[in-house]
Amino acid sequence: MSIQFKTIKELSLMLEKKDISNHELIEETFNLVDKYDKLNAFITLNKENAIEKAKALDNKSSDLALSGIPIAQKDLFVTKNLRTTCGSNILSNFIPPYSATVIENLESSGCISIGKTNMDEFAMGSSNETSFFGNVNNPWGANLVPGGSSGGSAAAVAAGIVPAATGTDTGGSIRQPASLCGITGIKPTYGRISRWGMIAFASSLDQAGPMARTVEDCAILMNQMCSHDSKDTTSLDEAIPDFTKNLNKEIKGKKIGIVKEFDLSKLDKNVVKVFEESKKHYESLGVEFFEVSLPNISLSVPTYYVIAPAECSSNLSRFDGVKYGKRCENPKDLEDLYIRSRSEGFGDEVKRRILIGAYVLSAGFYDAYYKKAQQVRRLIKNDFDDAFKKVDLIMTPTTRGPAFEAGSMSDPIEMYLEDLFTVPANLAGLPGISIPSGHVDNKPLGLQLIGNSLQEDQLLNVAHSFQKTTDWHLKTPDMEINS
Amino acid sequence: MDKETVETISYLARLRFDEDNKEKITKDLENIIEFVDQLESADTSDIEPLANPLEKTAKTRSDEITAENRKETFLKNAPDSNKDYFLVPRVVE
Repeated sequence: MSIQFKTIKELSLMLEKKDISNHELIEETFNLVDKYDKLNAFITLNKENAIEKAKALDNKSSDLALSGIPIAQKDLFVTKNLRTTCGSNILSNFIPPYSATVIENLESSGCISIGKTNMDEFAMGSSNETSFFGNVNNPWGANLVPGGSSGGSAAAVAAGIVPAATGTDTGGSIRQPASLCGITGIKPTYGRISRWGMIAFASSLDQAGPMARTVEDCAILMNQMCSHDSKDTTSLDEAIPDFTKNLNKEIKGKKIGIVKEFDLSKLDKNVVKVFEESKKHYESLGVEFFEVSLPNISLSVPTYYVIAPAECSSNLSRFDGVKYGKRCENPKDLEDLYIRSRSEGFGDEVKRRILIGAYVLSAGFYDAYYKKAQQVRRLIKNDFDDAFKKVDLIMTPTTRGPAFEAGSMSDPIEMYLEDLFTVPANLAGLPGISIPSGHVDNKPLGLQLIGNSLQEDQLLNVAHSFQKTTDWHLKTPDMEINS
Repeated sequence: MDKETVETISYLARLRFDEDNKEKITKDLENIIEFVDQLESADTSDIEPLANPLEKTAKTRSDEITAENRKETFLKNAPDSNKDYFLVPRVVE
């Protein structure tokens, strides 16, 4: 029985009914990994360990929520005794001595980690073209990018290799690849999921989340991934609801805001058409639309490209070739060791961002850039606070268009604008979800919903209502043609 | 943004670029800084900077030892070490 493209819910049922053994499920998953190795979705596999765990489950059944479910882990989460590279040469030999809290949470709920997914180096990129381990291909078309930075996770789910994968989202790194690969991905409220063991990029923006085939599976995963963690001082100490509980609630009368300042007329007309159709669909479900104004939203990307590089330049100073990671050959003195280890260890995009960060934090520029960006960040957050007095959710396209060709976007700023619609939620710490909402030129496209702080259950409810009444999330790529 | 500034910040960040790359990176940085200069248009007088969306003060915990000494585990990951320390090229002659 084929397991390709199955959801967590379907696989759990198959295991429960003994249509497939735990061992067979994992073996079959690795067969799919091999079959689609051209996607380059994985950096490191966890085969031996995964099969061993599955065999153990066949011998001794468990009643854990996600017992036996194969899952792919973004290579940004440290995994005990399993190589963790963050897509970088500088960590290409790094075997962590501990696991991230998210990994522990998922594994202790019965998930089997089958491997580490490819990603933009240190999560800096929107096309998965900055990985030291090579580009990831989008299952929807030869030479198409999967988006980034969680490109390997998105491709592995879109290809139906695994029902779900973990991702992280600093400026759109879950939602943008979810949109480009035709899957579902949610970035929860900042602080919902522990950052302990997530290799830090921009600490005030980074947030982990699930990527899966359906909203329902994302809710199931959220239940396991979220926790208060004393090891992360920014981890929220708030009650964690059962995220599956309100999925099927009536959404009639919900108020959704459309952002006045996002001028969609600049987008491809087919992209706008997909968005307008989603709106119409929601209207048919009884949702009411209102125009909302977020006056400072156009400054989101410039704000982000001060704050994120500033935090990155600080966070990445820990990679110095001394304590772990790669060291250059024959350093002549300590300074040479630092400079050459870092210059050889980091790729171009990472270096570019470190330099921007060093510049905006340097004496004389700190107030003009870093402080200014933090002030604008507050203005943007205030805009959202005002908007959520009028509406329950805000809806935008997730991306400006569908997947583009690898190598076609060489201007860094063009690439940065890829996150136009996703960055604001990170700046304000709000939850955002991307769901498949249509196709343009046979390529999938996502719809983004942004909720108020801590209101993931409402976000999931409204997104799930879309999936109950449409079939975009059920479409699968024809990889025989595309490979 | 000029080559000299790029050299200064490269040194601050302990990064080095060869001559060909230096030109490209200078151009890239110039464009990016020009792009983020849009921030000037916002009126931010009397606006408190927002460093973190939670705006919560980190909680303190009681001052107790919670972690064990895992020196050997961590030294194993070092490019060079002896049984007690990380090793780097000699700093003091």
